Amino acid sequence: MTMAKTIHARSRTKEVLIRLSAYLTILVALVVTLFPIYWIASNSFKFDIDIFAVPPEWLPVNPTLKHYDQAFIQRPFLRYALNSFLVAVGTTMVSVTFGTMAGYALARFSYPWQWRKQISFWILSTRMMPPIVSIIPLYLFFNYFDMLNTKSALIVAYTAFNLPFATWMMKSYFQDLPVELEEAAIVDGDTRWGAFLHVALPLARPGLAATAIFCLIISWNEFLLSLIITLTEQSQTLPIGIAGRVTQYNTYWGEISAAGFMACVPIVIFAFIVQKHLVRGLSLGAVKG
Amino acid sequence: MLTSESGTSTAEFRPGSGLERWAERHLRFLMLAPTVLILLGLTIFPSVYMFYAAVHKISPNPDLPWEFVGAGNFARLLSDAQFHVALWNTTIFTVVAVATEFLLGLGLALLLDKFIRRLTFLKTVLMIPMMLPPIAVAITWKLIYEPQFGVLNEIMFRLGLPLQAWAGDVNLAMFSIIVADVWQWTPFIFLLMLAGLASLPVEPYEAAALDGASSWQQFRDLTLPFLKPVIAIALLLRVMDALRLFDLVFILTGGGPADRTKVLSLYIYQVAYRFADPGYAAAMSLFVLFVTIILSTWFMKRMRLAD
Repeated sequence: MTMAKTIHARSRTKEVLIRLSAYLTILVALVVTLFPIYWIASNSFKFDIDIFAVPPEWLPVNPTLKHYDQAFIQRPFLRYALNSFLVAVGTTMVSVTFGTMAGYALARFSYPWQWRKQISFWILSTRMMPPIVSIIPLYLFFNYFDMLNTKSALIVAYTAFNLPFATWMMKSYFQDLPVELEEAAIVDGDTRWGAFLHVALPLARPGLAATAIFCLIISWNEFLLSLIITLTEQSQTLPIGIAGRVTQYNTYWGEISAAGFMACVPIVIFAFIVQKHLVRGLSLGAVKG
Repeated sequence: MLTSESGTSTAEFRPGSGLERWAERHLRFLMLAPTVLILLGLTIFPSVYMFYAAVHKISPNPDLPWEFVGAGNFARLLSDAQFHVALWNTTIFTVVAVATEFLLGLGLALLLDKFIRRLTFLKTVLMIPMMLPPIAVAITWKLIYEPQFGVLNEIMFRLGLPLQAWAGDVNLAMFSIIVADVWQWTPFIFLLMLAGLASLPVEPYEAAALDGASSWQQFRDLTLPFLKPVIAIALLLRVMDALRLFDLVFILTGGGPADRTKVLSLYIYQVAYRFADPGYAAAMSLFVLFVTIILSTWFMKRMRLAD
């Protein structure tokens, strides 16, 4: 009796200890995740002299909006942000529209000579091409068509990376949906296209959302292609605008922190709005392989 | 009533029904066509052009003709010490960063799944870094690593540890890049693993618990095999991305000090734009492309991921 009790008590203590260390680990992960974001935000509200303070100021003691004024009023960061936004939305619309159609086709139709497998793999393989590989030819391509320094050029270039991704995400989505519902719609007199539009598409909404979210994030964040294709204020995106303030002679920390923080804010807000789709979208679709 | 309506309408009287019927019959090709055409245009042209450029010596002067050098640019790869350094750096970075991200991401996902399953809010917070612009991440870490006023050295000082130059130190530069990359991309593995864990079946675990299997046995014999496809995709995507690392290095170290963080993308960029030698850059790009395709094809076949 007493022995059983001791064993029971010991395993309870062990249980509590395990639980405590799990919470502690998660807490550490949270701090490590959030601190850098806090740090850039905090620095964006400090005067230059306080950014360089040794030891560092953990909180902005003397907060200022100077760097926001500098970045968004004196310098064209608002323009960069608008460019980023337009390019991201354009790319996402093109990629998700065509990717959804192609994904549906690859999930539902049969093709002669095992085309389905070949085309699926080829589409994925275009995603493997490192951007640095296609940059020189794309540059010349846009130069030839007089498209350098345009947002359309960026949309075209980003589509090359997002379309294969969108196609594969949507393909695995449609594969998971039961085909019977579309068959029923066709029996009821709908066309094949109508069945796709009225039955399959609404069912795939979580997949569409997750795909669109990823396309938006990837395009909003892209750096290398934009660095080479755009040189003017009218076409440059936010990441390029930020990088431009790290020069060989000076790094404008305050301004960069303000712009960097502002580049993160819409994405983080967006992430919280769509968080449900993010996890659910992935757990239903692409992940299953 | 019903029959007469469906019998007389749509197909026979609607104008343009011939075209519509044609479209309906060829739907499987029409739905696929835009994607195939766009990708053909955007990948065939660059690929053909790359092959063409890679066998030429291209002068920075656009008026001079390209000089055919055959396999010359590829032969240069063998003796180019800088290229070997870049290849080595990329390998080290890919292996260490992806392995760390995988272990941390999986561990965190298991912890959260077991101990605080319902707090979606917390999960989203942990996923923030992967959504941020890499350039903002690079700037943030540059600020943290700053040797004079950076916060990392302040923490080192408080702990009584020696101050370091971090991204500027020959021995620590690659480590600093890896830490920043791990910070940004562990959440990606974490997200994929959470999604995988959420779709695990319950019954095998109940059976295993009845059989008295320890948590470690359950993890090894049930969770890991179930997660295998997710793990494979996560690793594939991360390795493909790690091989093209650019932003972090471009901002944090510029490839230095002493070429310790010069990775392939950065070297190709420098050769193409700073040294104005696009032919050689094209040859290197093709090399990277081949390595990526061979690695991922092998991996996908092994993991049976294609179709």
